[in-house]
Amino acid sequence: MDAGLLGQYVFNGLMLGIIYAMVAVGFTLFFGVLDVIKFSHGDVLMVGAFVGLMTYLGLSGLGVTSGALLTVCAMFAAMLAMGVLGALMARWLVLPLRNAPAINVLLITLMAGTVLRELIRLFYPAGANPKPFPRLLPTDAISIGTLTLRYDNLILLAVGVGAIVAVHLLVTRTKLGLAIRAVAQDSETARIMGMNFQMVVLVTFALGSALAALAGVTAGLYYNEINFSMGLLLGVIGFSAAVVGGLGNLYGAILGGFLFAALQTLGAVWFSVPAYKDVFAFALVILLMAWRPTGLIAEKAAERV
Amino acid sequence: MSRDKPASILPALLLLLSAGIYAFLFLHAEQQWEVAVLAILGVAAILSAGRLGISGQVERSWRCSPVLLGWLAMIVAAALIYLLREDHFSLLMVATLLLYAMVCLGLNVQFGYAGVVNFAGAAFFGIGGYTAAMLAGHTATPHLLILAIAGLLSGLIGSLLVLPLLRTRGHYAALITIAFAILFRTFLEVNDLLGGPQGLKVPGISLLGWNFNDNIEIDDETQFSFYLAYALFSLVLFALAFLLVRRLERSWLGLSLDAVRIDETAASVFGFNVARWKILAFSLGNVLAGVAGAVYAMMTGFVAPASFTIAESLIFVSIIILGGVGNPIGILPAAALVVILPEKLQFIQEYRYLLFSAFVILILLFKPGGLLPRPLRRYFAHWGKA
Amino acid sequence: MNVLLDCSGLTVRFGGLTALNGLDLSLKQGETLGLIGPNGSGKTTFFNALTGLYRLSAGRVRFDGREVTGAAPQALYDAGIARTFQRSRLCLALSVFDNLMIGNHRRLSLGMAFNLLQRRSFEQELRAHETRARALLASFNPGLPDRLYDPAGELGMIDRRRVEVCRALIGEPKLLLLDEPSAGMTHDETHELMEDILATRERQPGLSVILIEHEMGVIERVSHRCAVLNFGEKICEGPYASVVSDPRVQEAYLGAE
Repeated sequence: MDAGLLGQYVFNGLMLGIIYAMVAVGFTLFFGVLDVIKFSHGDVLMVGAFVGLMTYLGLSGLGVTSGALLTVCAMFAAMLAMGVLGALMARWLVLPLRNAPAINVLLITLMAGTVLRELIRLFYPAGANPKPFPRLLPTDAISIGTLTLRYDNLILLAVGVGAIVAVHLLVTRTKLGLAIRAVAQDSETARIMGMNFQMVVLVTFALGSALAALAGVTAGLYYNEINFSMGLLLGVIGFSAAVVGGLGNLYGAILGGFLFAALQTLGAVWFSVPAYKDVFAFALVILLMAWRPTGLIAEKAAERV
Repeated sequence: MSRDKPASILPALLLLLSAGIYAFLFLHAEQQWEVAVLAILGVAAILSAGRLGISGQVERSWRCSPVLLGWLAMIVAAALIYLLREDHFSLLMVATLLLYAMVCLGLNVQFGYAGVVNFAGAAFFGIGGYTAAMLAGHTATPHLLILAIAGLLSGLIGSLLVLPLLRTRGHYAALITIAFAILFRTFLEVNDLLGGPQGLKVPGISLLGWNFNDNIEIDDETQFSFYLAYALFSLVLFALAFLLVRRLERSWLGLSLDAVRIDETAASVFGFNVARWKILAFSLGNVLAGVAGAVYAMMTGFVAPASFTIAESLIFVSIIILGGVGNPIGILPAAALVVILPEKLQFIQEYRYLLFSAFVILILLFKPGGLLPRPLRRYFAHWGKA
Repeated sequence: MNVLLDCSGLTVRFGGLTALNGLDLSLKQGETLGLIGPNGSGKTTFFNALTGLYRLSAGRVRFDGREVTGAAPQALYDAGIARTFQRSRLCLALSVFDNLMIGNHRRLSLGMAFNLLQRRSFEQELRAHETRARALLASFNPGLPDRLYDPAGELGMIDRRRVEVCRALIGEPKLLLLDEPSAGMTHDETHELMEDILATRERQPGLSVILIEHEMGVIERVSHRCAVLNFGEKICEGPYASVVSDPRVQEAYLGAE
């Protein structure tokens, strides 16, 4: 295959990777702070995408035409809304089950995800059908040889990278990030030291959910289409990525996201039937879990005997 | 403190009778408000039975003569099915209920007893269905054998997941079964050999020369629904599965599964082969799901990828949570709620995934044991505390 | 008396931390060894290594004349090693009887046909085990057999401890590892528990015990010999009196002058 096509695949892989990485970072944050897997994360992403779409529809209906402004508003609205949703879910669904068996939190978040999915499917106009997502960013492209890179995709890539870098800086350089890390390390001690455990948890969930919303809007802008079930697949992929990289490890989540995207891209290259790429990628995830059950970079906690 | 009066069989008999009458009324109810009232009454009755100690009385009463009462329960169920003999729709629902409940019995062994999560229950249900489609549609294999093969194939394919499942716990294991469920659905959709997105047609069951799909004609005026055969057949299968799961729990096997679920480390230190028990539970559960799936496919006449999604797997999981994890008795009322209610209350059909997910959320928050929490193990009806 | 347990050079490392460092320990049949040392000295780690829960980084273990280095926990149980845990690990949702039967794994017939089809034979086995369970429980607390079919979670802490010891004993092990059985008990309760363990030892003269304890009075009464661990190494060994007056031991507990 020629360099241009290869480059196209690589770039596509990078875009997927950044989206997956954003989702995976959310999973890893939740796990770090509360040892929970929020299975509704993917569906939060989906709702965020829809909020972005609704914002666009609302604003353009009011006469706003600037693509940049619409994009920024859509992203901002989605992130804000999902931040609130994430905090609410943490407060009412996850925190109350803090002392229940871990499987209960898993189940309750799975069900919550289904509720979100169904709410959109049932109550958004024609929710069961895929919805076109507008092209808000400049679509002209630059060419390097046979490789064409569109501006909008480059912008999205930059936004995604920026978001992850921002989260990284927040977690490692700010007081809030210190609190998050303290609670993740040892919630008992953190509580004794006076940190407001509940507040940290809510903020963490809000943060992860906002990141998912950004990923959702990004996915919408990239594929120019969203639908009510996109969250399920993306959520599972994000979770796989976080697990593969080692739950609780931020860098692992990013690594995992790009790794999964690479697997999918490989699958797309090798198999003529496009859907097989997912079969391929998931089969590999299962194999990887058999080989390294706690991820490529080991999970932080171990059982006390 | 022992009871001076031996328990009477009466409460259990009353329960059977009232359950039979209730089921008949429920299935026959035409008006939406009738159905809703009955549903609410049913749930309230179960919940308050626990509070008022009635369930304890009934349980003690049942233990007076469990074999007799078991046969009576079968007779009541068969009688109910016979009373519905001309009603296609009701019989189809009853059969579906029993087959779904059978899958949930399997899931219960996996999750309730051994602690192995399985979010791909519908996939194993589907493996059974597709096996039936291929074997019954293209070969002359006797149908009972097809059912057995469907079950075995489900169990076998499940064992592919066993290695990663054994090496992981909790949420990792959940991920594996979810990944498998997605993989299964995608695989079916792209595979033209298996019918692709449209699926495959499946012939009906033929046992001993009698084709289930033929309507049973008594005379020129009366014609029994062909679903009658399926409903009775499903009843027998469910009863066998129930007995198997019951015996399993009331033995050293059930004890081993519980030990492995509750504390794997302690179990290993006392000699339990954790891998063996998890594999056994997972495989057995999938076999049950596969057999049920084969019967369901042959009854409905087709299989398609859209019937075996994660949403359906979550329906199965919802049933065992609602009914009470680890308690096979809770499965029937919970399955009835989840399977039959949406069919009767047409207006909630569209909303069933939403409603049941919300309901499960409420259960997990306020009554995690489910409608009928699991009681302590009783190796025999006459064993243990009075 | 022959040597039942012979550990040489046991080393357990977790990443950078060395929890056990070249431990040599042996035990004769019928002997009770008291294992003492400050917190974090590696006593529980030793038990975990001995029951196959931790992997040995180095060293060898011989038990009952056989090489068992690196054996799985299940194999070590089958060889005759049973234990209690520092942090109580009963299955609280199961009945007391079920908990005991978990410890009785060696004696349970686990064939599918037996359990599912041969119900009469199963009932006979059940009855036999129930009788033994009642007898064993009664020797620790005459009121316990009445609670045989209560959930273990409903028992008080002391009774739970007793059940845990019974769970380890019911399989008739050759070596019993007791990890701080008296933790959280009052003086009298500890005394009572030790009396019961001593009585058990009387009935089973071949039973060997390694006992981790912080209460020195218990160690003094019950053990034939003591070993002291500090930082994963054995610093002293011998009868209680000589160990207790050893300056190295005193330094380990109280710090250097």
